[in-house]
Amino acid sequence: MTAPEMSTDASSDESLLARYRSGDGPAFEILYARHRQGLYRFLLGLSGKAELAEEVYQDTWLSLIRSTSQPQGRANFRTWLYQIARNRLIDHWRKHGIRNPLHDSYDEQAHAVIDNTADPEQLLSLSRDTQRLETALQTLPADQREVFLLRAHGELDLPQIASLTETPLETVKSRLRYAQQKLRRLLAEEVLT
Amino acid sequence: MTDARKTSDEQAIEHFREHGGDGPPAHLDAFILAAAHREVPARKPSLWQRWVQACQKPRWQVAFASLVGVALMLALVQRTPEQMPQFDSAPAPKASSFAAKKEAAPVARSLAAPSGAMSAPVPAAPMADFAAPAQSESINAEMADEAKVSKRAAAPVKSLDDQLHEVIRLQNTGQTQAADELLKTLHKRFPDENLTALLKDLKKN
Repeated sequence: MTAPEMSTDASSDESLLARYRSGDGPAFEILYARHRQGLYRFLLGLSGKAELAEEVYQDTWLSLIRSTSQPQGRANFRTWLYQIARNRLIDHWRKHGIRNPLHDSYDEQAHAVIDNTADPEQLLSLSRDTQRLETALQTLPADQREVFLLRAHGELDLPQIASLTETPLETVKSRLRYAQQKLRRLLAEEVLT
Repeated sequence: MTDARKTSDEQAIEHFREHGGDGPPAHLDAFILAAAHREVPARKPSLWQRWVQACQKPRWQVAFASLVGVALMLALVQRTPEQMPQFDSAPAPKASSFAAKKEAAPVARSLAAPSGAMSAPVPAAPMADFAAPAQSESINAEMADEAKVSKRAAAPVKSLDDQLHEVIRLQNTGQTQAADELLKTLHKRFPDENLTALLKDLKKN
């Protein structure tokens, strides 16, 4: 289901949020069930720490529960939710004096590696070990990891990611491409070794 | 080659979606859902409920009562002109029957006779007063009905000359008692007029 279709659906994220704000408690349960896993995985992958991910995850949902605001402009609920979570994580880093890795400039071209794993059959043998996937993910530069996580777990399309991260669309495309190439290579090597 | 790469890219994303770890811990889910239930905003009442609540407030009750009052007044005002023609048309048949009866009763004819030149116009009500003693009970009843229906349909006003002519007519036809009664009434009605002299003048003419 595409984003426009969801917005017109009677039980779209936006309508569920509106129902909750008008006193319909069960509407929140549906909304939460839809996004709990993706948001948590995004935060865990981006922060690399379970405790921090849980803290930011909790803050994000509580701010949504206690707030009366709605997604503004052309943003849909999904983009809005991930924007809140991302901002909360950046606030945490800033508050604790941690350098924001998302602001590091990174030369994708310099880190480009020739991809030899284009064979789909080889892809089927990618490691399914969660710990290995997590380790491979953490080897990615933060900005590439963020784009990949927003695409994989947030299920955002590229223009939405570009809008959320305030990055040009072409940069987002290249970051995603390099991230995918590197992950394929790392995970294939894990299987071969 | 391009399609194959695109497919492999999508498979990498799908691979992470399928094997990218679990969701949040159960205690976190429970905490957030409990907070959501605890802080669920008060349900907004429906339009009908809000209307009922508004009606229960005194100031709105006064407002609605005023509105109903105004509506009733408007309804009454708008209905009144429609009823007027009914009053106007209703007396017509009665008047004709009334006139027919007066033909039979000479005394009553004095009230129903067509008015000539209005040499001494008088109000309708006094005319009814002086004519009443000379009328029978049935005529009185009809007059009362007539007055109820419409003042405009009251008996036509007759001049003093007409009344004196009536007196002469009554005297000529031998109805002296009725003539005297009518004359007596005219004396009361027109105390300043010399009715005897006027009567003599009329007899001469």
